[in-house]
Amino acid sequence: MEDEPLFADRPEWADVVPLEQYEGVIPLAPIFYTNEYKDATNYFRGIVKTGEMSPRVLDLTENIIRQNPAHYSAWQYRYKTLIFLNAPLDVELRLMDELAVKYLKTYQVWHHRRLLVQQTKNPAPELEFIADSLQIDTKNYHTWSYRQWILAHFNDDALWSRELEFVESMLNYDLRNNSAWHHRFFVVFQSGVRKGDEDRAEVVRRELTFVKTKISTAPNNASAWNYLRGVLDHSKTPYSSLKSFVTPYSVPHSSHQDVTSEDIVDLENPLPSPGAQLPCVAAIEFMADAHESNGGDDLMRATELWRSLADEHDTMRKKYWEYRIKEALQNVR
Amino acid sequence: MTDLDIGNKLLVPLHVSYIKALGDSKDDLAYHLTAHLRMNAIYWGLTALCIMGHKDALDREEMIDFVMSCWDEQAGGFGAHPDHDAHILSTLSAIQILITQDALDRLDVDRVVKFILSLQQPSGVFAGDSFGETDTRFLYIAVNALSLLGRLSELDVERTVSYIRQCRNFDGGFGATAGAESHAAQVFVCVAALAILDRLDEVDQQTLCWWLSERQLPNGGLNGRPEKLEDVCYSFWVLSSLSILNKISWIDSEKLTSFILSAQDLETGGIADRPGDMVDVFHTHFGVAGLSLLGYPGLVDLDPVYCMPASIIEAKGLRKGWKALPRRSA
Repeated sequence: MEDEPLFADRPEWADVVPLEQYEGVIPLAPIFYTNEYKDATNYFRGIVKTGEMSPRVLDLTENIIRQNPAHYSAWQYRYKTLIFLNAPLDVELRLMDELAVKYLKTYQVWHHRRLLVQQTKNPAPELEFIADSLQIDTKNYHTWSYRQWILAHFNDDALWSRELEFVESMLNYDLRNNSAWHHRFFVVFQSGVRKGDEDRAEVVRRELTFVKTKISTAPNNASAWNYLRGVLDHSKTPYSSLKSFVTPYSVPHSSHQDVTSEDIVDLENPLPSPGAQLPCVAAIEFMADAHESNGGDDLMRATELWRSLADEHDTMRKKYWEYRIKEALQNVR
Repeated sequence: MTDLDIGNKLLVPLHVSYIKALGDSKDDLAYHLTAHLRMNAIYWGLTALCIMGHKDALDREEMIDFVMSCWDEQAGGFGAHPDHDAHILSTLSAIQILITQDALDRLDVDRVVKFILSLQQPSGVFAGDSFGETDTRFLYIAVNALSLLGRLSELDVERTVSYIRQCRNFDGGFGATAGAESHAAQVFVCVAALAILDRLDEVDQQTLCWWLSERQLPNGGLNGRPEKLEDVCYSFWVLSSLSILNKISWIDSEKLTSFILSAQDLETGGIADRPGDMVDVFHTHFGVAGLSLLGYPGLVDLDPVYCMPASIIEAKGLRKGWKALPRRSA
């Protein structure tokens, strides 16, 4: 772009009257533009004033966007012009493939794309584009919400069919990617029942097996534990039904050696990986919740675990654990 | 004092001069790229100054003139800068600045209300402008602005609340749009909007407050999502939500306070996203706002629902039942 002449020096723009920006000395709001930016935005104000929507407006707005991708008026005017000109939107989308990756954190890039795809009604290539962008920033909020929007808005079986596979590849790359865990919940539980998934009990079993395996690989992964709780809450499965899985994670390594010898072939309940840091706070917490919901004598076991979190394993949240103890004991009386 | 001692205190005079100097950065090349946030930046700067007890550090008349120069006569809202189109983000900041400066008489309230209401979509969410991007941020802004202007009665509350409900996730949190991941900043906008609408019954408080308290990391800082890095601005998003839900004590305030203070620039003033990074007015504002909620000595009370000085909100009769930590004496 440095090699391009200013719009003021281009003969094909000679008929447009550039409009200087508001010039006043305003403390707290001075803006000192580069010449290129001033030039382009002066011409932009000029064409907005006359209402021109022509192919050269596309050049101009692209120029501004490349200098400042957050210039929302330039985006807006560009979109209107594209529609007015009936311009080929697939060409625009290819340009956006480049710009989205360049300006991944800019809201406008994603919104413009949404508007385009709503016109082309061709969501299929988008999933691949999103997968590629996520390689660059695996937790980008805009990219993930765009994917959720594509799936829900077009709601086409073909689009959904490979989502689980996609999530698994993202989690294989980074087991701690909360966005990927969220997406899995969105796909499996929050967006309707798809063909092959009608047996909901079976789906819950599949998900439990999945998350247990992931926890066993990396036990101190908050995202996986949250997912486990999400599945149980959603299917109204009591936490206590998972006690035999969670127990080995809630105690130090030495004490689960005994458990190992008894349950060595239990594929339903994979054990923590040998190098894991134990006990795992999330597991202690889970066991306490399981005890609490059982009530009765188990309530004391819950308060003992909360006490150990407050005093030893999770001292930063002392106030929270003490609140849990107080609440539980109050409910008894 | 050694550097260590200095870093343990909020350097109020230095931050005041940092905010004042923002208006003089005439050779700052990065400045034009933030033009779309200029109105917000003034709101952040002004509110941080108010919380530090230095409201008058910036000239009132100049500020009001600037705000009014951003009025978009065609749309009936404010742009972020004199030549920008109206946007809901800058419109709320303009309203907040005018109220803080006691200059609301300059505002054409009827037109602004009309502009804001025109942005509500059939689903209940709000768009930011006529370009149509939607986000629970814009929904909160609309609710906040209408409430500040005393015109909440014109809002379709049920439709608004039902969109927030669609954004609630299995972890108790809220996302930017229906189906999107929980994120602490989006939790704040949804919880604060529900607080203004007196609909906190829509929140799974037990799960959400637990999720929010889980945002604190061993270094004391807060993150916005599980397994992400800490950032000073989450001090506000997380603390304000917990304060609205009356669970702010679940955060280890001593550790968070020292984390925020460690992100100060001891030479130029200002607060960064985390220690060692470049400071900016956004993180300076949210750092100071967080410290106010944590009861840091000498600061002025901040209303976590509206993110404005608490006395202003109280005077308007809009105070909700939030609780911050008691103000400590120095």
